[in-house]
Amino acid sequence: MSENLSNLSFRKGIVDNLFEKMGDAAQHDGTPSKEELAALAEEFLIGKATTYGATTFYDFMKPENRGKKVYVCNGTACVCAGKQNAVQEKLQQHFKKEEIGHITCLGRCHENGAFQYDGQNYSGDSADISKIITKKPAGRDNYHVEALGNPVLTTNFSMQEAQELLSNALQKSRDQLLDEIINSGLRGRGGAGFPMGIKLKSCKEEASDLKFIICNADEGDPGAYSDRYLLEQQPYAVLFGMIIAGYITGADWGVLYIRAEYPDAVTITKQAIEALRQADLLGFDILGHKNFNFDFKIIKAQGAYICGEETALINSIEGQRPEVRTRPPFPTQQGLFLKPTVVNNVETLAALPFIIKNGGTAYAKMGTERSKGTKLISLDSFFNKPGIYEVEMGTKLATVIEKLGGGFKSPVKAMQIGGPLGGIVPIEKIPDLTIDFESFAKEGFLLGHASIVCIPKDFPMINFLTHLMDFAQYESCGKCFPCRLGTKRAHEMLEKALYDNYKIDKALFDDLLTTLKEGSLCAHGGGIPLPVRNAMQYFEEELAGYFVNL
Amino acid sequence: MIAYINNQPYEYQQGETILNFVKRIQGEKSIPTLCDAPNLKPTGSCRICSVEVALKQGGPTKTVASCHTPIMEGSYIYPNSDSVQKLRKNIIELVLTDHPLECLTCEVNGNCELQDVAARVGIREVRYPQGANHLHRQKDLSHPYMTSDLSKCINCYRCVRACDEVQGQFVLSMAGRGFDAHIIKGMDESFFASDCVSCGACAQACPTSAISDVFQSKSIVDADKTRTVCTYCGVGCNLEVSHRGDKVISIRAPYDAAVNGGHTCLKGRYAFKFYDHPDRLTDPLIKRNGQFEKVSWDEAYNYITDKLNHYKNTTGPDSIAGISSSRCTNEENYLMQKFFRAVLHTNNIDGCARICHSPTALGMQRTFGTGAATNSVSGIQHTDCIMVIGANPTAAHPVTGAKIKQFAMKSDKTLIVIDPRRTELAKYATYHLALRPGTNVAVLNMMMYYIVTEGLTDDDFIRVRTEGYDDFLNKIKALDVDKMEAISGVDKDWVREAAIAYATADAAMSFHGLGVTEHSQGTFAVMQIANLAMMTGNIGRKGVGVNPLRGQNNVQGAADMGVQPHQGAGYLDVTNADIQAKYRAFYGVDVPTEVGYKIPEMFDAAIAGQLKAIWIIGEDVVQTDPNTQKVIKALENTELVIVQELFITETAKYADVILPGASFLEKSGTFTNGERRVQRVNQVVQPIGNTKADGQIIVEMMNRMGYAQPDYTPDGMLEEISQIVPFFAGIKWEELGINGKQWPVGKDGKDTQILHTDSFKRGKGYFEFHPFEETREIKNNGQEYPYILTTNRDLEHYNCGAMTRRTGNVEILGEDVLWIHPDDAAAKGIKDGDMVCLQSPRGKVDIKAHLTEDVNPGILSTTFHFPEIMVNNITSDEHCSEALCPEYKVVAVKIRKSKGKFKTLV
Ligand SMILES: Cc1cc2nc3c(=O)[nH]c(=O)nc-3n(C[C@H](O)[C@H](O)[C@H](O)COP(=O)(O)O)c2cc1C
Ligand code: SF4
Ligand code: SF4
Ligand code: SF4
Ligand code: SF4
Ligand code: FES
Repeated sequence: MSENLSNLSFRKGIVDNLFEKMGDAAQHDGTPSKEELAALAEEFLIGKATTYGATTFYDFMKPENRGKKVYVCNGTACVCAGKQNAVQEKLQQHFKKEEIGHITCLGRCHENGAFQYDGQNYSGDSADISKIITKKPAGRDNYHVEALGNPVLTTNFSMQEAQELLSNALQKSRDQLLDEIINSGLRGRGGAGFPMGIKLKSCKEEASDLKFIICNADEGDPGAYSDRYLLEQQPYAVLFGMIIAGYITGADWGVLYIRAEYPDAVTITKQAIEALRQADLLGFDILGHKNFNFDFKIIKAQGAYICGEETALINSIEGQRPEVRTRPPFPTQQGLFLKPTVVNNVETLAALPFIIKNGGTAYAKMGTERSKGTKLISLDSFFNKPGIYEVEMGTKLATVIEKLGGGFKSPVKAMQIGGPLGGIVPIEKIPDLTIDFESFAKEGFLLGHASIVCIPKDFPMINFLTHLMDFAQYESCGKCFPCRLGTKRAHEMLEKALYDNYKIDKALFDDLLTTLKEGSLCAHGGGIPLPVRNAMQYFEEELAGYFVNL
Repeated sequence: MIAYINNQPYEYQQGETILNFVKRIQGEKSIPTLCDAPNLKPTGSCRICSVEVALKQGGPTKTVASCHTPIMEGSYIYPNSDSVQKLRKNIIELVLTDHPLECLTCEVNGNCELQDVAARVGIREVRYPQGANHLHRQKDLSHPYMTSDLSKCINCYRCVRACDEVQGQFVLSMAGRGFDAHIIKGMDESFFASDCVSCGACAQACPTSAISDVFQSKSIVDADKTRTVCTYCGVGCNLEVSHRGDKVISIRAPYDAAVNGGHTCLKGRYAFKFYDHPDRLTDPLIKRNGQFEKVSWDEAYNYITDKLNHYKNTTGPDSIAGISSSRCTNEENYLMQKFFRAVLHTNNIDGCARICHSPTALGMQRTFGTGAATNSVSGIQHTDCIMVIGANPTAAHPVTGAKIKQFAMKSDKTLIVIDPRRTELAKYATYHLALRPGTNVAVLNMMMYYIVTEGLTDDDFIRVRTEGYDDFLNKIKALDVDKMEAISGVDKDWVREAAIAYATADAAMSFHGLGVTEHSQGTFAVMQIANLAMMTGNIGRKGVGVNPLRGQNNVQGAADMGVQPHQGAGYLDVTNADIQAKYRAFYGVDVPTEVGYKIPEMFDAAIAGQLKAIWIIGEDVVQTDPNTQKVIKALENTELVIVQELFITETAKYADVILPGASFLEKSGTFTNGERRVQRVNQVVQPIGNTKADGQIIVEMMNRMGYAQPDYTPDGMLEEISQIVPFFAGIKWEELGINGKQWPVGKDGKDTQILHTDSFKRGKGYFEFHPFEETREIKNNGQEYPYILTTNRDLEHYNCGAMTRRTGNVEILGEDVLWIHPDDAAAKGIKDGDMVCLQSPRGKVDIKAHLTEDVNPGILSTTFHFPEIMVNNITSDEHCSEALCPEYKVVAVKIRKSKGKFKTLV
């Protein structure tokens, strides 16, 4: 990241946003023309290498994206479900091969067969493809939504409720509201589990005339669609959370960074924002509160997993290459445009209506000692009842699988829980785990964002690892040496072992995983060894043939 | 504040990173690094600098990258534990999977940071199977200087950061992501096609040979290194010159240079090949029958001595004049003026400051008492507002320009640019006041008017430190701002806002250039800038002041040394009897007592037949002084023209005797940069051919004309100078160190970064109001010649270009062009690239049109680097009313499309 570029991008700021302009320029052709990139470089005074370098990073802006018309999901859940080849074949009847691109996880993990066409997502029965191509119907899907206990996130939260709750909340001081959140013990749901209250507090304490609240809606973990659920079905809860965060910290802007793979989420959130604006809940001196100004901006992402990492996300909004920043300074000190910024996950923000309404203590009553509240779980199509489930922290994993998910449809040998950087949990470990950060960490796994992707019994683990490492190397931002080179070499070795009768030197592979884990700048490279090590431990026998001395 | 290294406690400093801490305690080489660089912010990409940190002794450790991790109080740092050593080795092994293994034939062999780190971490083999790599990336040899071989790139981002954080050019970036991430120039084009300004910062930063230059600056084979100072502009960059015997190989920028900290522009770093160019003069020449003939030094000296003695004895000392050179050292300038005063007994000695910053020296002397920059360029780090007026530093003072650009990009700072052209800095400025050329005084007066009416004056400062304010204030209050708005063409609200920004900044500083001085009201504009600073209290502390961007490398020094007709060495008044006595005693001979000719007066005297001989060192008056035809006439009318030069310049063609001088690489001495910093110039190679250091030539002439002057040595000369120039009192050659000293230097050797801290040189600062007055050039010619041409310089060339045109710089920029607004061009049917005939009352030239909105309609702009155009054929004879600096910046012209027939007028 470059401070100069942050500052230059800031000159036009969030309204006349550079990244958004890049995205617009990519609309017509799939990639911006050199003239457009040069014009943007001139407008923002940032040099052509900057605009070109940034756009080449993204799947939906890079030159290779030119002329792509339809994108087939290659996310883990869809790959494991084994439906994608059929989708690809069907599409090839309508499109030239070079017009078909890849897209990683459309949040249709509950039924798979997912693809995006003309900005709309489709999934499920791929027999309908020719109808879709000609008629472009709305690509709706259905999945179970259910709470095991007291619903916090899955209860309906309407615009009216948001309005009432907001006017009540604004009676209280910023400190009172902050205390509620601190007392709730709410920890971030984006993966790292950092206490939200502390983040808000440190941002609040920064002196700055401009601050930002960012909603991280880049839910990139293949297999996860709980954020998608919230944005599409509970947008007011998320927006409410952001307004409260803005009130507490003194931020004027709420920025939602929503992945391009969720077009409906963009539309629905936009409508919700408009409704709030109609109800006079946005703008200046909100509800008569002098100096409380707040407004929203939606930034549509352009296809890069690493943009879910908060500092890459910030760089992305600024129109810089979304490479991970070093910390400190933390975003709460110098985030978007180098201004104090709170980045929170969708689900974290969506918990605020409950906390503000019922108090932090009520929230803290739910869950375990160190993991409070409830958590959404995304179940993929290997479950009898795929869908989004809300459970209290501390709920048995077995309960989720059996009671809520209705068990597996077909034999499964393991699950990857918590996204690509989450652990590979063999089914024999199910009884040992409860849904909370500590239980997973203790057993050598990761709760993460709590998506569950099943690995079928007949799906070779070497294939799974190769797929995983392919994802890791493809999505690496490339900034730090260990991850840029290490994920590539790991993928190459796995691929060679899978296809070329090559045997991986276990000592070398170990060194590589340690290098990734210890050396990487962020949790992308640092986290990928975890599932690999899980697999090597729990599926040693299956994998032994691919290694020397496993 | 204590932290532990290998369980030993050490004090750490606030904000220190682990890397800096450990290096400070355990030495530079204690932790290997690759992406870290001395002048760049840490980025954390290589991870080689990883160390283990525990919160308590023997406690669980975490591996962190030391370059960007601050120290935690009481933490235990293990910089070289087994596990980090292994980690480093494993990372390097990965790097080598995508790097050609052919060190022995690589240009940086022996000086490659990757090679070094690989050796230090003890890598022996690469265990990975053959995989994808970037070894196929092609070399880029498109550019006259910059090269790349990105197959050697390790993706450390140092080049990208250098281009961003040092030069501010954004030519480099990564493209793609993950393993595919690769360095690009522009939109994945060649160096030549990109917007690269060839500063070389990236090449210097690159740890491998992935980005380098044609001189292979990082190659260390058999090279000796000498540190010296750039010969081009007044920034005064330090250079580290590599040479093999008498051959200069390449130049780098030392990181510990106070002036340029690891940076230069392309002139300083790459444009040195003029020094042994085949065109270099190697022997003295005498013109006989219209032809130059090689002669011996003896013959040349005898010839000159005879003639000078003759004129001295017949037409008198005042029929001889000299123009000394700002390109020469202080010591040489001192000798030249001494030669004229003590040997020839005339004050007819002047220098190129006349045509650039004489109004600055005069104006600031009137207001403050000292005619030099009040502050240092490092003040940029301490200021909140910069006003750049009449200057284009990114082209003419590139390293300072880059610093101002860095400043301008920060969002909490204000840059005000007052310039008719949309310069690069203007693009980044908060306020760009694009005034009509020649109306600086109008705009400055408007600014002061608003500062007064907005109540933003610093009354305490005015009361305690200044005089003349009441009268000044009355005149300011009476200003007709609407009229000034109409005259200058600048929206008065913008002026008001800019004035408020300047006045309300905690610290505001100004930089000005020739766009202020080269006007009929040049001196007055300088005084208004000084007044603006005084009325807002922006004098005498960090980050404020009035800072002229002195043009040539030693133009400051030349004036300091007495190269002026009215002031001797140390700015002492030659008409003052006490001073005369002092000089008489010091030189041991009688000295002249009348003020001598300024350069334009020399030419007038020559045309009037009063000047018989002129000795010009290192200045191409024919090409660079205004009204070329008049200059030529003056030279033709002078019986003896001596030109001391490196090349046969346009001026040298009119010489009777040519003396071959030595370039900066061939001699020692000192240059004084624009912030009064006296720095050592150290000889790198022997003078080429039979050339001699200019100082030695003057010494030999002095002796031949009967004045005993010891041979030219920098230490000896400085000792003499320190006895007569008050502000050099404590300057000693041996004590100048690598970064020199800023005058005044007291007897105790202490130097001065900021002038006028407690009182002004003249006691109180003096306010004096001057109203705007239209230049005669417009008044007399504006009707018939409705366009205004303003001249300026480009980055790639230095003034007459005698040096830079003999380097690779011509491949980057090979001609002067005319900036013209598309509307004007359309009105005259001129297309981009067409030849345009520019006509002024003095003459015509033809020049190629470059259509741009960076000048306003009605305004034209061009450079004067190429003798093919000789734009000074049309510049005027108008001068600053006070300092006689020519008005290059306002030339009334008319234009039409042409077929190029006036191309070779000379
Ligand atoms: C590789 C990587 C990908 C990430 N992806 C996401 C994501 O898609 N959504 C998200 O909310 N957080 C993601 N994060 C975590 C964010 O960096 C950040 O911790 C989070 O947005 C903070 O919000 P929270 O405290 O509410 O969880 C990711 C982190 C890494 C290292
Ligand atoms: S670990 Fe990977 S994704 Fe994270 S900063 Fe390094 S290269 Fe980028
Ligand atoms: S030479 Fe200077 S301007 Fe050119 S790319 Fe390198 S750093 Fe940038
Ligand atoms: S070109 Fe050199 S400086 Fe730039 S990233 Fe590559 S190795 Fe580093
Ligand atoms: S020309 Fe000026 S800026 Fe360029 S290197 Fe020389 S002194 Fe520095
Ligand atoms: S030197 Fe610290 S990461 Fe490269």
